[in-house]
Amino acid sequence: MLRRTGLLILSLLLAITVLFVVLRVLGNPVFALISVGATEEDIAAAAARLGVDRPLPVQFLDYVGQLLRLDLGRSFTSNLSVADEVLRRLNVTLPLTLLSFVLSVLIAIPAGFLAAWKARTWYGTAFSALSQLAGAIPVFWVGIILVTVFALQARILPAGGFPRTDWADPLLALRSLVLPVVTIAIVSGSELARYVRSASLDVLGQTYLRTARATGQGFGAALLRHGLRNGIVPVISVLAIQLSTTFVGAVIIENVFALPGLGDMLLVGIREQDFPSVQGVLLFSTALVLLLGFLADVLQRILDPRLRGTLSGNRRQRAPA
Amino acid sequence: MPRSLFPRSLALAVPSVIAIAALAGCAGGSPSGASSGSPASGAADPDAVITIGSENEPTSLDQIFGGSSGVTEAFTGNVYEGLFRITDDAEVEPLLAASTEVSDDGLDYTFTLQEAEFHSGDPVTAEDVKYSLDRFISEESIAARKRQLSVIESVSVVDDDTVAVHLASPSISFTYNLGYVWIVNDTAGDLTAAEDGSGPYTLVDYRKGDSISLDPFDGYWGDAPANGGVVYQYYADPTALDNALLTGAVDLVTGQSTPDALPQFSDESSYTIIEGTSTTKNLLAFNDRVAPFDDVSVRKAIYSAIDREKLLDSIWDGRGELIGSMVPPSEPWYIDLVDENPYDPALAESLLADAGYADGFSFTIDTPDSGVQSTVAEFLKSELAKVGVTVDIRIITDDEWYQKVYTEHDFEATLQTHVNDRDINFYANPDFYWGYDDADVQTWLADAESAGSAEEQTELVKQANRRIAEDAASAWLYLEPQIRISTADVTGVPRNGLNSLFSVSGIEKAAS
Repeated sequence: MLRRTGLLILSLLLAITVLFVVLRVLGNPVFALISVGATEEDIAAAAARLGVDRPLPVQFLDYVGQLLRLDLGRSFTSNLSVADEVLRRLNVTLPLTLLSFVLSVLIAIPAGFLAAWKARTWYGTAFSALSQLAGAIPVFWVGIILVTVFALQARILPAGGFPRTDWADPLLALRSLVLPVVTIAIVSGSELARYVRSASLDVLGQTYLRTARATGQGFGAALLRHGLRNGIVPVISVLAIQLSTTFVGAVIIENVFALPGLGDMLLVGIREQDFPSVQGVLLFSTALVLLLGFLADVLQRILDPRLRGTLSGNRRQRAPA
Repeated sequence: MPRSLFPRSLALAVPSVIAIAALAGCAGGSPSGASSGSPASGAADPDAVITIGSENEPTSLDQIFGGSSGVTEAFTGNVYEGLFRITDDAEVEPLLAASTEVSDDGLDYTFTLQEAEFHSGDPVTAEDVKYSLDRFISEESIAARKRQLSVIESVSVVDDDTVAVHLASPSISFTYNLGYVWIVNDTAGDLTAAEDGSGPYTLVDYRKGDSISLDPFDGYWGDAPANGGVVYQYYADPTALDNALLTGAVDLVTGQSTPDALPQFSDESSYTIIEGTSTTKNLLAFNDRVAPFDDVSVRKAIYSAIDREKLLDSIWDGRGELIGSMVPPSEPWYIDLVDENPYDPALAESLLADAGYADGFSFTIDTPDSGVQSTVAEFLKSELAKVGVTVDIRIITDDEWYQKVYTEHDFEATLQTHVNDRDINFYANPDFYWGYDDADVQTWLADAESAGSAEEQTELVKQANRRIAEDAASAWLYLEPQIRISTADVTGVPRNGLNSLFSVSGIEKAAS
């Protein structure tokens, strides 16, 4: 566990450094602030104001010091606090991610299990085919189709946007999340369904199920008692990865639905070379993804005693002494 | 390449493809936004809040820290006022300066201030004006017009409502340029997240990445707004913006960046398409310092080899205007110079032969990766191939453009849109990125700025205007149209897009 925690911290440090360097190698934030006609003095004044005229190591130490004080800095363009902005935008991105994730799990687990259990029937085959298809469509395409059908033609849901009052009117806010949530859930749910299907196939063919049934347990009871606990272990690590990809999906889909979340902040930040904003969003996302992986690992160890003492989720044979 | 991730043509193709799905899945939904009443019916509702859709979100709320055109569109004339204002027809009118006296030598301006108050309740005083002007030209300011206003040598307070400005040299455009300078409260402090102006609206909500909400200011000295407030709703994706207008989420859009989506709004009982004139010029800028573009004949040859009418047609579907120089029709020194370098491939070939390039040559166009420029570049490539000139297209980011082209002058030719008004002055600066260096033009434009009368100024700028066209200092391709679209129940939308100014206080919405 200690090694796992150390690994987590090391990964974060690496992410911070790589992000910092890559951004500064790729762009110059000054050019987003000036316009044609700016003189060399203007460019120098802007660089000085942003502090990007200092040597890179100085800027980096400054940045790390800032992070240690839990300060993400201020946007190069709007001058707003990056931490405040990230928090405000979580109002959109967090519910969007969680709702999409829950919906995709609700779709994927029964669908995947059914596809495995009834693998030899026509609808079992249809299920897998459909999930293959849905998983292959780019997420923004699904978004466009849903907007066209439900917003532009049927006019029963908004085409995009989020209430300016945030969650003051929860129904209004939920309404604006319906299409984006369904969009993400269709795509990530079908991916997840494929995992659930193969995990289920695995479990259904295990001898312990047959043994359990031989002791007189019904199929359902045996599945619940032995199948679930065995089958869920690989699914948990997939779920953690899936939650992370749902988050990434949310970031992409925000643009299609004009949602003012973290994805929008990232996109605009990249366009405007607004390093503090880009770093803030990516650092937050990286930390979240790493943390989810960490939690999944811990949870797997709790559920499966065989994994304890190994570094990561993969099972290792202990050499005989 | 369109700016959005997915081509508009795809988005437009979708409805027919999935119309069946729509019928099967959700029959019974009725179009609500499309039947919002005919334009003539219903008096204006003075309390109606107008929602304005725009792709031009301010990068910052302060004009001196890179606020750029987005903050001009949202704030100038609405939240903040200048001593003067520039009307939608590019006329200069007094605003916070109730009266102006100019000394005979044109160096001293004395402004008597309009009685007005800031949104915080403080009166607008001479101290505030001094603070605002000093702030605009201060060392840390990176305002777009700082250079023009740096002609200010000193600002002094005469009394509470009189302020005197002394110029280093006469500047006939001084009052015009002041039209862009916000008068802010000298006690306001940081203006990046809050405001304290004297305009007809106050800022009530700023959600970066989403919206800016303005309420009418009760204490406004002038005419009260015709609406109950405005909300600027920002969209990063043009298709999302069109969808917002189609579903009634916004009442109008300030600018359509391509004409592709216009057919969706062609029903006049539902939408009004407003086509105005802009100051946005798209040009092929040569690096006039380097061979072969240091040769006037070569530049003229290239310019004459391009069928600009066909280009404008294919990019803007017949909208917009052809220009023959840097000056659009909305400026006082406009002359129709389109025929100075007519489209004439035969002429182009003979000019090239005269210049010693009978067998043509090849050059690279550094093409910004934004908007329509790569399409324009492909067009130029095929046009120039017809006269034996080979074009290499190099796509670059805005960042690279500023670094390589603008700052280092390391380029042969580039495509760029120039949005500012009255920017012919760039041709008087030999250090500007295109490096046009003509002593006469420099003299004329300098003399024009210190001219004693507007007529004299106009004559001098016209001379410069003609010269740059004769020299084909750049190849000015076309002037973009300014296309706004509103729902039919909305009236009073400013027509033109002169330098992004967008005064909202006259916009009305019919009571439903």
